[in-house]
This record gives sequence, C-alpha cells and structure tokens, in this order.
Amino acid sequence: MTAKNYAENYKGADLLAVAAAREVQDGDIVFAGTGLPMLAIALAQITNAPNAVCIYEAGSIDGRPKDLPASVGDARCATQSSVAAGLTEAFYGQLHNGYVDLAFLGGAEIDKYGNVNTTVVGDYAAPKKRFTGSGGNPDINSFARRTVFIMVQEKRRFKDKVDYITSPGWLIPDWPSGEMKPKKEVYGKFFNGGLSAVITNMAVFRFDEDGIMYLDTVHPGFTPEQVKDNCEFDLNISRCKGVTEKPTVEEIELLYKVVDREGIFLP
Amino acid sequence: MGKINKITLKEAAGLIKDGDMLSFSGFTIWRRPMALIYELVRQGKKDLHLFEVNGGTHTEVLAGAGCVKMWESCWVGHELYGKLGEAVARGQVEGSILVEDYSHAQCVARLLAGAYGLPFFPTALAMGTDILNPKFDMLGKAGLRDGSNPKIPLKKYDTIQDPMYDMGKMLLMPAANPNWALVYAQQVGDEGTVRVLAQTYVDLEVIKAADKVIVIAEEIVPDSYLRDDPAANIAPGYAIDYVIEQPYGAHPTGSQFFYDVDADFIRTFYQASKNADAYKKWADEWIFGVDGFDGYLEKLGANRLLKLKANSVMGYSTTVKRGTR
Repeated sequence: MTAKNYAENYKGADLLAVAAAREVQDGDIVFAGTGLPMLAIALAQITNAPNAVCIYEAGSIDGRPKDLPASVGDARCATQSSVAAGLTEAFYGQLHNGYVDLAFLGGAEIDKYGNVNTTVVGDYAAPKKRFTGSGGNPDINSFARRTVFIMVQEKRRFKDKVDYITSPGWLIPDWPSGEMKPKKEVYGKFFNGGLSAVITNMAVFRFDEDGIMYLDTVHPGFTPEQVKDNCEFDLNISRCKGVTEKPTVEEIELLYKVVDREGIFLP
Repeated sequence: MGKINKITLKEAAGLIKDGDMLSFSGFTIWRRPMALIYELVRQGKKDLHLFEVNGGTHTEVLAGAGCVKMWESCWVGHELYGKLGEAVARGQVEGSILVEDYSHAQCVARLLAGAYGLPFFPTALAMGTDILNPKFDMLGKAGLRDGSNPKIPLKKYDTIQDPMYDMGKMLLMPAANPNWALVYAQQVGDEGTVRVLAQTYVDLEVIKAADKVIVIAEEIVPDSYLRDDPAANIAPGYAIDYVIEQPYGAHPTGSQFFYDVDADFIRTFYQASKNADAYKKWADEWIFGVDGFDGYLEKLGANRLLKLKANSVMGYSTTVKRGTR
C-alpha cells in the first residue's frame, strides 16, 4: 500500500466535506441536504463509496447528477435518477419504510444528547429570532440508521439546553407528557438508530453508550481543551483518539475540479 | 371530451377571498406559481392562511406584503440565495403572523390525508421533538381549534398505540384541505390533463387535497400528446378548475426543461425582504410599478430570460454562471 499524499493547503470547509465523505460506507443509501452534504456524498461516490446511492427529499431517488445541484429540489438532482418522484416517495416510500442508512444534516444549536435546534432563538411562543425551521431534519434524523451533523463550533451553539428541540437526539421528550426518555423507548419498534457523529470546523464528535457526546478527534491545529472551551456543556475529552485525518491532495483536487468545479459551495 | 376553463391572472386572483386557505405546487425555489402570487399582492389580499410542506420565495413575497395571517409549514428560505425567510420570521416575532410548525414529513402526512379523503394519516416520523410540545400548539392557544373554521382541525395532532402490529406509539396528523391549490405546471393539455417534468414534489397531493385548483401552464399542449404517455401525467382534467397560460409564470423560481432559477433576482429580493421599507421599495418596482406580469417580463428583458433558458436535453441552464469558477 502506498502512503497517502496529504494536502498541506486546504480550507476548513474542505476538511468538513472530506471528513463527512469518509462517514459514507460503500453501498449506503444516503439522504443528503443542501450544501456541504451534497459535496460529501458526491465525493464519497468517486472515492471510498462508489456503490453508495443518494436520495434528495424533494423526490429524486438514486440520481447521478452531471452538474452539482445547488439545492435538493434542483433539476440537476433528477439527472439519471432511477425514480423522479416526490416527497411522499422520499419520506414514506424510502425513509419511513426503512431504506435509509445514512443522512447528513445541519443545525444552529446542539446539546450533549444531540438534540438540535433549527427553529427559533428564545421561547418558541415569543421568539427573539426565527431560523428556517425544521425542514426534513427531524424526519430524517428520526429514521435513518446513522446520521451525521455538520455544524459550526461555537460555545453559544453547543449548549446545555437548546431553546427548542427541532430534531431528536438520544434523550428526548415523550409527548404529550414531555417526560425525557431514551430515543429507543420513544420510538419503540420503529427505532432504527440515530445520531452517530457531529463534524465541526474544529473536531469530530461521537456518542457513548448513554447517548452523550464525546470528543473523537480534533482537527489539525486545534487542541482538545480548545474544543472543550467552545462547548457550554462539560465535554468529555477523555476518549479523544487523536487528530482528524487530513484531506489528501487527490481529495482536494476532486472537490475543486470535479465535484464543485463551478465554485458553488467552495468558492 | 373535456375542456379547460381558461382565465386570466387577474380573474384568477379575483376568485381568491381574504382569509382563504392556500397551498402551492413546487419545492422551495422551484416551480412556484409566481405570476399569480404577484397578482394576489397587487389585489391586496389579506389574512391568507397558507398551508405548505415548505415555503420559498413565493411565501416571502406574500408575507412581506402583509397578505398572510397564518402559516402552517416547516421551513422557509431561498436555499443558497437567501438563508432565512425574513418576512415570515418578522411576522412571527412581531406576532402579526400565526406560525404553526410541523416537520416536513408531518406536513406531507397532512396533505396525504387531505388528498386521499381521510381525516388523518399516521406517521412515526419526528417524534420526541418540540413540534409536539402542547405548549407550542399556536392555533390552539389562539382559540382557533373550536371547530368554527372548517379548515382548522380540532387538534394539532394526536397519538395512538398501534392496534394492529403493536409497533408502539405513533402520531396521527390531521388532513389539510385548502380552499385553493395554486399550481404551476410545465404542460397542461387542452382538456386539462396536467404534466410536470422531473420531480413531482407534492403537486399530486396538493391538487387532490384542495377544494379548487388553479394551474398556471407554461404551455398548453394537445391533450392527445399527454395521453400518449399517461404514466408521466399527474392529474386528469376534471380535477382542474381553472387554467392560465403564462410563459415564464414561475420566474424567478425554476422550471425544469424551461428555465433555471434566477439566482440574482432572488438574492436581490432577499436583501429587500429584510425590512419593511426595503420590501415596499422592491414591491413598488417589481409588482406595483409594472403593468401586470407582461410588464414584469418586459422589465426583466429578453436577454436575462434567455440566459436562464434550460438546455433542452439536460433540463436546466448549462450556461448560467452559478459559482465563482
């Protein structure tokens, strides 16, 4: 085996896309959202996971875009798809039916159990600010076997308690009582899995047996303590296994010259 | 032989009453019935109740103009060209728009029930979220779940223990049956058969769920052409109440095989949507300052529209500059 030729010059977003692509296992059925997730699945399909397929929630199933889509409803998603249908097929025919192995999602705030907020700042009944809203985030996160969140690392985003649980992590309210229970109990026989990793501009996080976030690797140039300082909750850094693998020269070249050759998400 | 009831944009908007419940074709910034949206603003509609699986530029045009009283959905923004739905957000924070959040697939469940003549549809998606927190049932808190408005269900949702295979707890989502479906489709036959090209989004469900359906057709074609490939169609003519033939009727949103999303137009609108004064200036220029949709297209100019023109094989523009390279 030849040694990998690691890149020396790359941007934070490049590392995020590459680290996300490495989460894809060959043969995975992947549900991806707009932005970096599109780069990750496209890169994975031409590197480590040539047999992975992609579903976009607007209804394109196993598309083979010739040009990078700019959003999940883009005409480009449907090129060479096996089925170009709609949301009923994506959410019920594919997701609820249990086909989806992996999903890439994002969020504005997250807590140590992986509960994510993409809806409001402050009390929902009288919010200070509204974000875009849930979209398909909670649906996909609730039924995919593994989900990976791509987020910005900031203390105000890695919170003790998120203002609103848009998307379910590992310890969640069971309505209508609202009692906090493990996800497995709330979902019963519908349980498929859930959050497996969070990738930020500083680190990769995973979840322990109790569904609590811990530091897995730090990106080159950061220390575990710096990452801990950028979390409001008390981050477990004892399981950190080292530095995140850098992107290779080949991966960077593929990202800029093949996947996003027009410079849509990677200017 | 069926026939279509062809009307103008002005007539179509005139049919929609203040307070009516509307839903739309399309997905975020693709295939939205924009020509009719502008006309609703021009006619000064008030108190509209929007139910949509996701919002987009059309939602923001209506919300910015003060046409919207209630918005039941899950997401609003302009994808890459404007990250938030500023007008809806402002309305929610100021309290002028009543926002009821569901998840995307829960919204789909509501439309499925509506489309198939069922009072509710079960789903296990997005359980364990604050969407289901009874404190955040905003229509209920506003006293609107008393049955007096036939378009508002008695409950935001309910739960059930699966009685058939003992799968555990599930959600029941109430049907959504809007007064109007406002649809943009690429092709409508001269007997009303509807075809959309590429992804169908929730267009089939919106058409079936609504009491009345208005379709903006990019082009009207012989029904026999659509009937030669019936599997590609999404609705029969008898399900469609009114048809408007309006080329570029989805601009600035995209229409597969006809034109791409006008990113610059949406970016400019997004900036304007951030405050009421800027929105007013934008609307004065692009809605009130032009002579109907024809005037809007004239103002855009042939060159701009040609740049968006879809490649007839690929279905999207292969020449428009999308990124930095």
